[in-house]
Formats: sequence, structure tokens, C-alpha cells
Amino acid sequence: MTIAASAGLLLTACAAPDSEAPIAEAQSWSEIEQQAQGQTVSLWMYGGDEQGNAYVDDVLTPAAAEEGVTLRRVPVESTTDAVTRILSERQAGVTDGEVDLVWVNGANFGTGKQAGAWLCGWTQNLPNMELTDPEDPLLLDDFGTPVDNCESPWHKAQFTLVYNAAAIPDPPTTFDGVLDWARANPGRFTYPAPPDFTGSVFLREALINASGGVDEVPARFDQDSYDRLTPALFDRLNELAPSLWREGTTYPQSSSELDALYAGGQVDMTMTYGPATLPKLVADGTFPPETRVLTLDEGTVGNASFLAIPSTSGKSAAAQVVANLALSPEQQLAKATPDVWGQFTVLDLDQLTPESRAQFEALPSSTVLPSYEELSANAHPELSADWVSPLDEGWRRSVLAGQ
Amino acid sequence: MSASTKSFRGTAAVLPAVVLVVLVVGGGLGTVVLQSLGLMPLVGTPELSGGAYSALGGDLWRSVGLTLSIAIVSTALATVIGLAVALTALSGGRAALVAAGVTVTVPHLIGAAAMALLLADSGMLPRILGMTDGGWPELIGGKWWIAVVLEYAWKESAFVAVVVAGTLATRVAAFDETAATLGAGRWARLRLVTLPLARPALIASAAIAFAYTVGSYEVARILGRPYPEPLSVMAIRLFTSIDLETRPQAAAAATVATALTVVVAAVALRYLRRSAAWK
Repeated sequence: MTIAASAGLLLTACAAPDSEAPIAEAQSWSEIEQQAQGQTVSLWMYGGDEQGNAYVDDVLTPAAAEEGVTLRRVPVESTTDAVTRILSERQAGVTDGEVDLVWVNGANFGTGKQAGAWLCGWTQNLPNMELTDPEDPLLLDDFGTPVDNCESPWHKAQFTLVYNAAAIPDPPTTFDGVLDWARANPGRFTYPAPPDFTGSVFLREALINASGGVDEVPARFDQDSYDRLTPALFDRLNELAPSLWREGTTYPQSSSELDALYAGGQVDMTMTYGPATLPKLVADGTFPPETRVLTLDEGTVGNASFLAIPSTSGKSAAAQVVANLALSPEQQLAKATPDVWGQFTVLDLDQLTPESRAQFEALPSSTVLPSYEELSANAHPELSADWVSPLDEGWRRSVLAGQ
Repeated sequence: MSASTKSFRGTAAVLPAVVLVVLVVGGGLGTVVLQSLGLMPLVGTPELSGGAYSALGGDLWRSVGLTLSIAIVSTALATVIGLAVALTALSGGRAALVAAGVTVTVPHLIGAAAMALLLADSGMLPRILGMTDGGWPELIGGKWWIAVVLEYAWKESAFVAVVVAGTLATRVAAFDETAATLGAGRWARLRLVTLPLARPALIASAAIAFAYTVGSYEVARILGRPYPEPLSVMAIRLFTSIDLETRPQAAAAATVATALTVVVAAVALRYLRRSAAWK
């Protein structure tokens, strides 16, 4: 109750919403747990992922019930809907809004943070946060926006190149090697046209490589860096184009189109931000049996996604309990199981008990998919979301329309 | 009854429908036009400018050309095929018309997906013909938008056939027999009786097919290529961009597409008014 009241005071104090994020009041964890008893938490999350929905309904919700919290999943078509809702509640001065927890990352988190949509200063109190690596760059910065204890980590994703070992017995091990291989094998490689999500990531990966490494590209966007770094990138991609599928006169419009080309044997590589789905695609015969993940020496872009509590939620105590539960080794392990959801854990295995660590290491490995540790070696965090539009637009003008 | 009273009664009868259409369509169109002119920005202050149009620059003209080309070619094919199907139906061949009736019920999204499965580089047809290792023409995502035109031509020809056959079925037989007893041959009957009777339905259904093609998104998105893009694809890409600054440009593309269909509808109406069978 006190938290709702204090949040209420806080919000009436700023009836015209400013962008100051409300800070959670300092309480002990046991007080928070007590307050949470009997509360219902509405978790708003993208509803298009069947496995994710099933995990939340069948695994996380029963576990939350044991903690005395009712978890209600609200599927949304896009996370932006949740952010929009929170911002309009905030404008209306609502203190017990419809949204208590959101699965979020990237631009949605950044936009919401600018507008004070998230409750901040609470994740450091979660007992299970101690099991994460405090120095982990993927958990400190969310697409260039500092996390600042405004969201708690949930799982990780890794941009991954995928190849058909039957066609490429001796795969390249660096990004430049991949481009060389593409030149040596005309027509067997392409990438989706940005603004497709995956195509966009490939473009950022290419930018990092063309610029001489991740440290050469400032995470925050600025026009000078863009003007300095992109000519080399677009020259490179233009020079590569004639060696691509259909001589680079066109590109697949989406990652699913690229996947279809790969599945049909038109190209020998594809790419994904969700490699956890690969074993299933191979098992059901969609992808060639010799499908393997191509790990790069210099690493690829990775990101984490998070659970954030809106500043308009009146049940932040229960939401914190759920966020903490989602971080527990049991839940992270269940979620990482390929049959359940196959999402990589955000926990630092070195911080776990030997038993738990062994369980994570014993996760069914597959010939298709290496362990996350191998997959994420040298992972670099995403550039800020401000890079995305200019890069996509620049690629459109310089590479796509230049054909 | 004088002509003016007659027209007043007619107007009164359709008024409720007209008001509704004006409110919904007019409201939507008004918003889009205002957005495209910078008068309804998401961020910043309203300011009249043609910036959204000029920002699209040459791409806008390329998209207009592509949109018109796809619409003209598919509508022409649809009209010719549809008319042929309707005429065979009138002379007793029902099978084609039944097929058209079934085709009309297939949503374009399903039609496009089916085309994709059939004609893609590793689709059903090249697999059956053993041409998955090259040699298969670029029907999907190719330079000539062949799969897109085929899909529209197939779906819209069915629509044209059903409309034309429906209007002819009630009237053509009596006229046709009269002409025959007066000694008109087959060709003369087609030229002087059937086609003039079919013309209004043909113009109307062709105009509807054309307008649909200009405004449709999913077929071009599924079977097309990323550049150049039809106006509808351009509008939706810009509208869903994470960069809010592009909203006015999305509205500009949508406004141009709407203008195209309005012009075509106006031309079609003019021709309808002039045709004898309409009166």
C-alpha cells in the first residue's frame, strides 16, 4: 500500500509529466516480498512467440503463484503498444495503471526512459542480481542507453551467421573471411534488405568491421562519425554486390525470405538473431541437415532483453518479485532449455553453485548450435538505436538504389 | 415528374450512405493530406511545407511509374481475360465462370502466398521441372514484377468475369436474338450488341480493379523486390519506420497513391456516363 501511496504522491507532485524517472523507494527485500502478497501483475509482452507465451503461462506463472503473486500475461502486437499506453497513463496522472511489467529492450526502452516511463533504481535490490556479472557490457547498456537500474535482465540474444557445411566444408572464421568467401563463390551469399531487423544487424556488423573494430564506432550516434565511417562501408558493400545472390541487383526483403533461399539451397548462408531456433529447423527438415553456426573470431553483436516496471504501476513490489523470480537459476535454466524457449541466460555461470552450473552446462547441446559461451565469445554490445535509421536509409540510397 | 424532383429524390435516398462515406473517407484522407503537408506533425510545430514530397525526390516518381505500370498491365490483362471468361459463360461454357467465382473468394494474401510457393526459385514449379539449380526465370522479386502482375491479373480477371457475366446474363439474350433475326452475323453481334452492353460493367470493374491494385500492399510486398517499390509499400515502410520524422513522407506517398486512384475513378465515371447502356 505504502508504495502505491508514495508513487501517487510522486505523480501528483508532477501532474504535468516531466521526464524525471521515479525512483523506487528504498525498502528491504523482505518488506517488498510482504507487500507483494496477493497482488496481480500484468506482464505486457510481444505475443507472437509461441514458445515464449508457453514458458510464461506454464512455467513462470505457477512459480509466481508460489511466491504469492498472480501473474497475468497480456500479449501485445508490438512492445511499442505497451510504451504508448504507459506514456498516456503518465500524462493522465494514473498511479495504478494497466501495465506492471514489460518485456523490453532497445529503442522502446530508450524512448520510455527519456519520457520517464520506467521506475528506476530497483534492480540493484533484487537478490538474484548478484548472480549476474556486474561488468557485463550487455547488461549495463541497452542499445547505447545506460540501463541505470531501470530494468532487470531477462535473457540474451546473439547475432549469428549460419552455413551449410555440406556446401562449405572449410568455413571462414572472420567477418572479412565471410566476404572473401562470398566473392569466391558468386551468388551463394546475400543479406536481407534493411530495414528488415536482421538485415539491419548485418549492416551494423559490417560497419563495425569496415571501421576496424568495435572500439572505432562510437556507440552513441553523431553525424560526424557517420560521415566519416560510412563511405568505406558502402563502398565495400557495393563492391561485394556483384558477387551476391542475383548479382546484388536485389536483396531478400526479409529474413524469412533469406531463410527460404537457404532452405531451398539457393544460397549457402543465412543469419539470425535467434539461433536457439536452429536445432528445431534442422530437426524438422526445413534447413539442410549439415546446417552449422559460423562463429567469428572477432565476435558478433549481442544484446540482452529485460523486464521493466512502468512508473505508472501501482504494484511495483509484486513486479519486482516476478523480475527477481525470472532471474532465478531455476527459471533461467528452464527458459534456456531448447524445448521450452531456448533463450540464453543472463546469469554469470561463475557466480552459480556448482550444481546449478553443471545443470546449465548439461543443457542438451546440439551439433547445430554451440554453447552460448562459444557463441557469444567476444560479443560486442549493440550500437545505439539512433544509428539504425541513418544506416538503413544510407544503405538504401548508396547500395540498393545505386544498382 | 420533372427531372429536378427526380434527381432530388435520388439524392435524398443515397444521402445517409454519402454522409457516412464522406465522414470516414474524408476524415482519413484529410488527415493524411494534412500530415503530408507538415500540418499535423508528431513532433514539432505545424508548418506548411512540401518537404515530405521533395524528401522522397526521385524515388517518388520512380514509385509512381512502377505503381502505374503494375496497375495498367494487370488491369489490362484482367479485363481481357475476364471478358473472355464472361463470353464463354454466355455461350454455355460454365466451367470458367465457376472457377472465377471460386477465385473471387480467395483473399489476395493467400493468393500471393500461393504464387510464392509455386513460382519462387525453389518453389513447386521449378522443383517439378528440375530447375532449382539456376535457369529458372526471376518471376518473384525480379526486375519485371511478373509474379505480382500475374497474381493481380488472375484475381482481378475473376472479379471482372463475374461482374460482366452477371450484367450480360439478364439482357444480352433478347438483344442477341433480335439482332440474329435481323441477319447479323456472329462477329457483328459481338461488336454491335454484346460489347456495348458489356462496356459499362467492364469499365466499372476495370476501374475498381485498377484502384485496388494501386492501393494494395501485401501482394507487392510478398512477391516484389525492395527497390524500386510501389507507393503502398513505400508508404507502409515509412509509416512503420522507427524514425518518426518519416511519417509525413509516408503520408505523402499515400496521398499520391490516392490521387492516382481518384483520377482513374473520375475518368471511368466519365466514360460510364457517355455509354448508351448506362442510361
